[in-house]
Amino acid sequence: MIRFEQATKYARTKGIKKPIIEDASLTFNRGKSVGLLGRNGAGKSTLLRLIAGAIKLDKGRIIRHGKISWPLGFAGSFQSSMTGEQNVRFVARIYGVDTEQLIEYVEDFAELGPFFKAPVGTYSSGMKARLAFGLSMGINFDYYLVDEITAVGDSNFKKKCQAVFETKLKDSDVIMVSHSTSTIRDYCDCGVVLERGELTYYEDVESAIRAHDRNMKGN
Amino acid sequence: MWALLDPAAHILLMTLIFRAIARAPALGTSFALFFATGYIAFQFYQAMTSYLNSAVRANKALLSYPNVAPIDAIVARFILQVGTTSLVAFIVLGTIVATMRAETNLHWPAILEAVAIACLFGLGAAMINCVLFLRYPLYEQIFTIVNRPLFLISGVFFLPDSIPAPYRDLVLFNPLVHIIMGFRQGFYPEYRATGLDMNYLYGIALLTLFAGMLVFTLSSKTLRNE
Repeated sequence: MIRFEQATKYARTKGIKKPIIEDASLTFNRGKSVGLLGRNGAGKSTLLRLIAGAIKLDKGRIIRHGKISWPLGFAGSFQSSMTGEQNVRFVARIYGVDTEQLIEYVEDFAELGPFFKAPVGTYSSGMKARLAFGLSMGINFDYYLVDEITAVGDSNFKKKCQAVFETKLKDSDVIMVSHSTSTIRDYCDCGVVLERGELTYYEDVESAIRAHDRNMKGN
Repeated sequence: MWALLDPAAHILLMTLIFRAIARAPALGTSFALFFATGYIAFQFYQAMTSYLNSAVRANKALLSYPNVAPIDAIVARFILQVGTTSLVAFIVLGTIVATMRAETNLHWPAILEAVAIACLFGLGAAMINCVLFLRYPLYEQIFTIVNRPLFLISGVFFLPDSIPAPYRDLVLFNPLVHIIMGFRQGFYPEYRATGLDMNYLYGIALLTLFAGMLVFTLSSKTLRNE
C-alpha cells in the first residue's frame, strides 16, 4: 500500500512556483496496477520520483508498505562511465540481492552481447532501456514504477517484456506513466489523473482515460 | 597510472629546471626530495578537490535510486582519493628517499598530521564547491581562474621562511603553505618552519569542513536536482 497524506509538492524554476500536487490524499492499494495520466509537464515523472522517495515532499507525507523500485525511465539511472555489468553489480549491492545471480539474469535478458561489458555511455537509448528493464525485473519489487519505458525496443523485445511483466504482475503491482492509452489499458486496472495539482482516482481505467481525454480537449 | 605519472613528471621537470639555475635547494641537498615533498603535500589537497568537486554531478544518474544519497558519492570518492594519493606518495617519496645518498630520518607524526589536515580541508572545500558549482555556474569559472596560481603561491618550490617580511605574512594566509611546511618538517628534522601555525591551520581546516557539511546538508534539494 502507498498512501499520500495531504501531500504537497511545488516545482520551482527561476522564482516561479508551480504546484505539482497540492494537499493530495490518496491510497494505492495492493493488487491494483495504476496508470498515471496527465498532460505534458504536469509532473507525472516528479510524482513517480516522490513515490520512489528519490525526492521529498514540501508538506505532508507518503506512507509506503512494500518494496518499491526506482523510477524506470528514459533518463536512465546508469553511471555512464561504468559498464553495464558494473552498473548491475552496483544496483545488486545497494538493493542487497545476490550479485552474480542478478548479473546472469540481466545479461541473458537484455541481450546486449559484448556491449554488456562496455561503458553505458556507448549504448543507444534502446540498449539502455533494455538494461534498465532487465535489471528491474531481476529484482523482486512489490511496486514497479515505470515511466514510458515499455515503449522502447523492437517488437521482439516488447513481446519479451510483456511476457516477463505479466508473470511479475501476478504478485507485484505497477504504477505506470505513459502517453499511450493502449499501454495503460493493457497493464493497468485503475487510473489516476493529474491535472492542475489535483490527483483524481478512478476505480476503472476506462473512466480515467475518458477524464484525461476530456482534459486534453478542454484546453 | 596517470595519478602516478603526473607527479613524477612534474617533480622531474622541476628538478631539472632548478638544478640548471640554482646550486642547492632551499632545504637539504636533493632537489628531487625538496620538490616532491612540496608537490605531494599540495596534491593531497589539490587532487582531492578537483576529483571531489564533480563528485555529485558525475554521479547524477545514480541519484535516481532513492537509496543513494549525494553524500555517498562524496564519501566514496574521498576514500578512493586518499588511497590513490597515499599510494603515489609512497612510491614517489619512497623511491627518492631510497636512492638518496644521505640518510633521511622520517618523522611520521608530522607527515601524517599534515596529510590528514590536507585531506579534511580538501573535503570541506569540495563539499562547498559541489553545491556552489551547481547553483552558480559562473562561480565555477571564477574558482578555476583563481585556483590556477595556487600551485605557485603555496610554497611548493620555495620556502615561505625566506620571503621578506611584509609579503611573508601575506603568503602565510594561505593554509596550503602551512600544510606543506608541516609535511616538510617530517622529512627535514633540521627544518625550523618559522611561521608555521598549527592552530591557524586546524582552525581553517575544521571551519571549512564544518561549513562544507552545513552547506551540503542544507542544499540536498539542489544536489538531488529538483
